Amino acid sequence: MRTKFRYVAAAFGLTASLALAGCAAAAPEASDSIVIDTAFTLETSDPGRNYVPTGYMVSKALYETLLDFAGSDESTPVDGLASYESNDDATVFTFTLKDGRVFSDGSAITADDVVFSLNRVAGMTESKANFLMNGITVTKIDDMTVELSTETPSLKLPALMTNPSLAILNSALVIENGGTTDDSDAAEAFLNETSAGSGPYILDTVNFESQVVLAENENYNGDEDIDFTRVVIRNVSEAATQKINLEGNDSQVAVDLSGDQVASLSDGINVFSTPSAQTIFLLINQSEEVGGVTSNPDFANAVRYALDYPALLELAGAGSEQATGVIPPSFLGALENGVEQDLDVAAASLEASGYDGESITLEYPNDYPVGGVSFTPLAERVQSQLADAGITIELAPAPFTTQIDSYVNGTEAFSIWFWGPDYADSANFLPFSAGQKVGLRAGWTAEQDTDVVNLASAAENATNFDERETAFSNFAEALQQRGPFVPLIVPGSNIATASYIDGVAYNSTWTMDIAELQAK
Amino acid sequence: MRKRWLKIPAAWITPLGVIGAVIAVAWVGIAFTARLWVPFDPLAQDLPRLQAPGIDTLMGTDALGRDIFSRLMTGAGVTIPLALMLVVMSLLVGTLIGAIAGYFGKWVDELLMRLTDLVMAFPTVILAMVVAAALGPSLFNAVIAAFVVSWPQYARMTRSIVLGLRTQNYVMAGRLMGFSPFKTLRVDIAPNVVGPILVLASLDVGTAILLLSGLSFLGLGAQPPTPEWGSMISAAIQNFDSWWIGLFPGLAILTVVMAFNFVGDSLRDIFDPTSQVSRAGARS
Amino acid sequence: MGNTPRATRRYSARSPLVGYLLRRLGTSVLLLFGVTIVTFALANLVPGDPIAAALGEGAASNPATVEAYIKERGLDQPLPVQYANYIGGLFQGDMGISLRTAQPVASDLSKAVPATVEIALLAIVVSLGVGVALGSLAAYRRGKISDQLVRVFSLIGLSIPTFWMALVSFNFFFLQLRIAPGSGRLSPALAPPPTVTGFYTVDALLAGQWVTFTDALAHLMLPVFVLSLFTIGLLTRFVRTSVLEVLDADYVRAGRAKGLSGARLLFGYVLRGASLPILTIVGLAFGTLLSGTVLVEAVFAWPGLGSYAYNSATSLDLPGVMGVGLVVGVVYLTINFAVDLLYGVLDPRVRLA
Repeated sequence: MRTKFRYVAAAFGLTASLALAGCAAAAPEASDSIVIDTAFTLETSDPGRNYVPTGYMVSKALYETLLDFAGSDESTPVDGLASYESNDDATVFTFTLKDGRVFSDGSAITADDVVFSLNRVAGMTESKANFLMNGITVTKIDDMTVELSTETPSLKLPALMTNPSLAILNSALVIENGGTTDDSDAAEAFLNETSAGSGPYILDTVNFESQVVLAENENYNGDEDIDFTRVVIRNVSEAATQKINLEGNDSQVAVDLSGDQVASLSDGINVFSTPSAQTIFLLINQSEEVGGVTSNPDFANAVRYALDYPALLELAGAGSEQATGVIPPSFLGALENGVEQDLDVAAASLEASGYDGESITLEYPNDYPVGGVSFTPLAERVQSQLADAGITIELAPAPFTTQIDSYVNGTEAFSIWFWGPDYADSANFLPFSAGQKVGLRAGWTAEQDTDVVNLASAAENATNFDERETAFSNFAEALQQRGPFVPLIVPGSNIATASYIDGVAYNSTWTMDIAELQAK
Repeated sequence: MRKRWLKIPAAWITPLGVIGAVIAVAWVGIAFTARLWVPFDPLAQDLPRLQAPGIDTLMGTDALGRDIFSRLMTGAGVTIPLALMLVVMSLLVGTLIGAIAGYFGKWVDELLMRLTDLVMAFPTVILAMVVAAALGPSLFNAVIAAFVVSWPQYARMTRSIVLGLRTQNYVMAGRLMGFSPFKTLRVDIAPNVVGPILVLASLDVGTAILLLSGLSFLGLGAQPPTPEWGSMISAAIQNFDSWWIGLFPGLAILTVVMAFNFVGDSLRDIFDPTSQVSRAGARS
Repeated sequence: MGNTPRATRRYSARSPLVGYLLRRLGTSVLLLFGVTIVTFALANLVPGDPIAAALGEGAASNPATVEAYIKERGLDQPLPVQYANYIGGLFQGDMGISLRTAQPVASDLSKAVPATVEIALLAIVVSLGVGVALGSLAAYRRGKISDQLVRVFSLIGLSIPTFWMALVSFNFFFLQLRIAPGSGRLSPALAPPPTVTGFYTVDALLAGQWVTFTDALAHLMLPVFVLSLFTIGLLTRFVRTSVLEVLDADYVRAGRAKGLSGARLLFGYVLRGASLPILTIVGLAFGTLLSGTVLVEAVFAWPGLGSYAYNSATSLDLPGVMGVGLVVGVVYLTINFAVDLLYGVLDPRVRLA
């Protein structure tokens, strides 16, 4: 009989320890360590190959760039590792490195590191960030000076140099571990284990599925004064779970909360809401072959005026705004007012388009909320609004990775997508032009609208600020009138933190600079 | 005499079976009539968003301001008929294949049974998920995917029964009398298969509903704005605080699956009061 | 939601045990090839083109890059060649590179599989404990009210949609009551223990990290609870039936006649006698658990096989899908083979043949 009792006792012991463990895990109070929850988009921790938001956030903490943005202000780049001057044509930019800055292994940052790092991105055609260096030539002037030059005026170049993909790497260390400046580069594996930068943090561990752990860079001698010496960036794909974790003090920062969730947050949580730089838009294909009736410009117009934008905006919540054009607010050339619903115009355009009641398929990625806006409810509401205007829509959601292929290849007739800048400059929205990358995805070729092509090139090649602003807003205006895109929403970015954390500043590329988070 | 068909043996009437049958019949009734009497259009986005359950909206509203009660009731008409159709389809195909394998034996049996082995070498949801993803997400394809994984259990059970009967004297006698294989299967064997297969099928309705709603939960089944229970629960993930969005569709699935399981379990007692080992597993 | 037990299994009365097992082994290996063909075929049926997804929109617009990528991964070869390459690689432990994570599938899976097996094993242990207790109770009290209650309880367990239960319990125990820990395998403040088995609980104990152990255990609670409900229902039914059969057997009657009762009789005679059918169903329940994890892991952000399977399937990650299919197929076939083996060894009818 004794044996039996032992079993029972063991069973009780197990139950008790389960219960105890449950209690113990409820509130780990952390002082110099914080947890950031975000839905991962992370493929590499090699900054030169990264092109996705979580990767940018990580790179920003581990590495530094030539230039930077102060806080949330993305209008004018400020000095980073270097200061710069440019010539009047905006074709030659001279960068002078700051004295005395070192990498995490203590070695000094020199012009060679800059040349290597930039040429590495320029040379790795496989890298998704490769395009950032298109048309830029890098020349070493002396140990502390580097010259970047372009063929045509390039007022966007300083903003480009803030992009964490163009981070300055410790060239000696990277070369030692397989780094080169072309596609033979083999340093990615090394950089996925160890960071080789000068940022306030170093890479502790990384798991692309679950979490990235950052530790303090003991040799950091820049301006940031970090309060949190251990940062865990955790993959929590559901925003709802992020919210629970934050409210339960399981995490201290939640990056992807939706407007609805922010509205129902419990006390003791800080929220930083601001319009993001993302634009969610409808794409209406102009290729007859792909889209059939959608290729009629009147059809795009019918859709444009059939929608009730405030009702769509209702789904996006805190911080979001109606998209007034392809250029989001706060960017150069953004329009003041968006389209207002006008069912008469919509009906007339629909009549003119030759639409005959056929069902049109609306495709969208269903697992990729942008700024907390899930595309499924948005698509359902678009469907319902268009139904009221006499357009029959069938929804065809698919995961992002499945859907993006047909989007990129321009084979979607009617779809919901989003566009965010790769760096903070309105030149990022010129791909919407006829014959350009995004334009072609909508089957919109250069021949179809040469006026728009000219407007885009005027904006691209402007050499001074005023001329540039006018050119961009003309471009945006033209697209609002006859482009194959219907911009819907600029979702809010809602970063929520535990009450004792301060210093959140949203950036459209790297979301936020972790080093700027401070304990109150 | 006229009402003889209504006479149900007393042994058939168990409390569990009756409760199950009543709930199941109620749900099937709802499935086919809901569109006629629900208070709101299940697709209309007219109500205030994320409204808690109350007098106007019994089960609250979802993120688009649609009435959840109306969606839930019409949702029965989406899932239940498809699940029934799926079971009938699997039953017919599976039974036929199993009968062929069992009756002809030898390489036919070997081939068909290895085929079922192959299907069964995967957990159902994983295989169904891959098939649904490969075919492209839609409710129809989800049914196909679910069919792919559910026919083998019928085939296996039929085969084992046929195998046992094939050498029975009366079956042999029939064959000696010159019955064709299909006549033998139909006349001498089929009546023995019906009972166990019916038990299996009634239990399988529940499994089918769980599988279809599970696929829809993963986004591989019903597409928006279809009011399907699994996808309604999946929408609840986006709105955790509005607990009513996910709670009620789950309860709907639970009650309807439970009802069919109660019925199936009671039927099993009737058809086979001694051994339950061989069949109960088939519902897993 | 698994498969039929092989209770309908037919044993050849003529072949000796070894021959029988060899034949089973041969069939298993053949089936394994079948599994790779099925997964390969399914993965290639997927309509979309995963390359743009893997490369990103920037690089995918560059034809040279796309071509280089296709060449590098051998995606330009005819399908039979690709399949042959895949099988060839398998023998060297190479399952290809995931298009989604850009990591070797083998290394992805080596992280995901232990995470899932840890849940599944614990769930099996819990289900077995509860199932045996409830099933025996029901059998002993056959026809009484407690038998009926157990029956209703187990049928409800079989009827609960696991994904919904996961959501509801996560919401209730974590968000409302705050007694359960959040998602994932460990609280983020803790580092995973040094990898030995891949089970965080075991590894933490081996490393003597008590805090990590309790934390890992706490994180296992909810997923295990949710997954167990179904298998408890399943096992309870089977245990009841098996125990009932054994209770009628002569040797148990003899034991009873000798005056044995209670635990002695239950453990010494009844459960020993019923162990074979129970064993079978445990093996199969393991398969249903693997199915369940697909639906549950998403809710708990559990980085296991289920999440990996779902992510691979929906992002058209061919090598990933094939890897999961292979691993799951191997697990299934191994369990079936092991069950057969045990049958052969334990069941006198097979042994004497």
